[in-house]
Amino acid sequence: MPLSGNVNDAAKDLALGLGTGFGAIGPGVGVGYLIGKTIEGVSRQPEMRGELQGLMFLGLALTEAITFYALLMSFVAFFIGK
Amino acid sequence: MTRRLSWLLSTALLALALPAQALAASAPKTDPTKEFLLDPWIKIPKLGPIDLSITKGVFYLFLSTAILLIGALLVVRHLRLHPKRLQAFVEIIYDFSETQIGRASLPAKTYTTWFPYLATLFLFIWINNMISYLPLPVDTEHKLWGVIPTPSFYAATSNISVTLALTLITFFASHYVGIKHNGVGPYFKSWFPPVSGAINILIVPLEILSQFLRLVSLSVRLFANMLAGHLLVLMCVSLIIIIGNVFVAAASIPVAVFFYCFELVLVANLQAFIFALLSGIYIGTAAEPHH
Repeated sequence: MPLSGNVNDAAKDLALGLGTGFGAIGPGVGVGYLIGKTIEGVSRQPEMRGELQGLMFLGLALTEAITFYALLMSFVAFFIGK
Repeated sequence: MTRRLSWLLSTALLALALPAQALAASAPKTDPTKEFLLDPWIKIPKLGPIDLSITKGVFYLFLSTAILLIGALLVVRHLRLHPKRLQAFVEIIYDFSETQIGRASLPAKTYTTWFPYLATLFLFIWINNMISYLPLPVDTEHKLWGVIPTPSFYAATSNISVTLALTLITFFASHYVGIKHNGVGPYFKSWFPPVSGAINILIVPLEILSQFLRLVSLSVRLFANMLAGHLLVLMCVSLIIIIGNVFVAAASIPVAVFFYCFELVLVANLQAFIFALLSGIYIGTAAEPHH
């Protein structure tokens, strides 16, 4: 099938997909590590559960936000890119 | 029983949001990102560069403010020593914001001044996030029977101008607190670690930049989380129309329900909490710098 269409549009689509996908790798590893370590901590000291959970959620939001920076930049490339 | 009821309720709510996209089926394409366009409902002439027209986002802000005001007045009018439902609920929220946000982030000397700000911030963002997941008749582009706007989602907090405005208040408040409690010189000196020599060329611009990057990180975190959450649910639903096959619904609706519950239960609450907590941490560390 011969390809047709605008190269600009294709590049924008690629930017959105690749930017979001690659941007999700790092935070994915980070969130997994964070929750795994929390589970480890709780299993060592179950009485610290409440405190660790609060810290975990703080870290979760901070880590997760990085995905959204990537998403935002991909949106910028997709919608405002020339 | 109550759990099953809440599941049913959320599914029904989601089903209510369907017509907005389903009606677009007559058009060859549907685009969930169009839900985030803000066309003016009531046009107000521009004041220079500032457009004060009433849009969907402004409506959501007014709605959340009204809910907060009316709720607060209702609770305060009939205060009981043994609280009933509404009062007990509000007391839980107050207790949470006091122990988890206020005491956790603010030092004692700034607590009484700035805890009300943090609690207001938390409640405002929280209510905004909560009502953003209710299907309300706000989609004026498509009308049911030509009159009623179709129910749809929108979050005021999924607009960068709302979150940036809230962030700017925190930004200026933290510097005001820092200057007030430490004086101008010591406060700005406290931004930088006590090192001397050539390494300062590297560190000084970096530390100044990090102060301003807070503006980006705090506002974009809330805005992008809410935008992505809404877009995800809308995209799952409109996949049926984009692919053009009804049987896609069998897969995409459960996924949409799952993400809806995930966003409503975890993300919407967490982001309101994080925004208030980080605001508190910024104000608290400005009042008592560590180095």
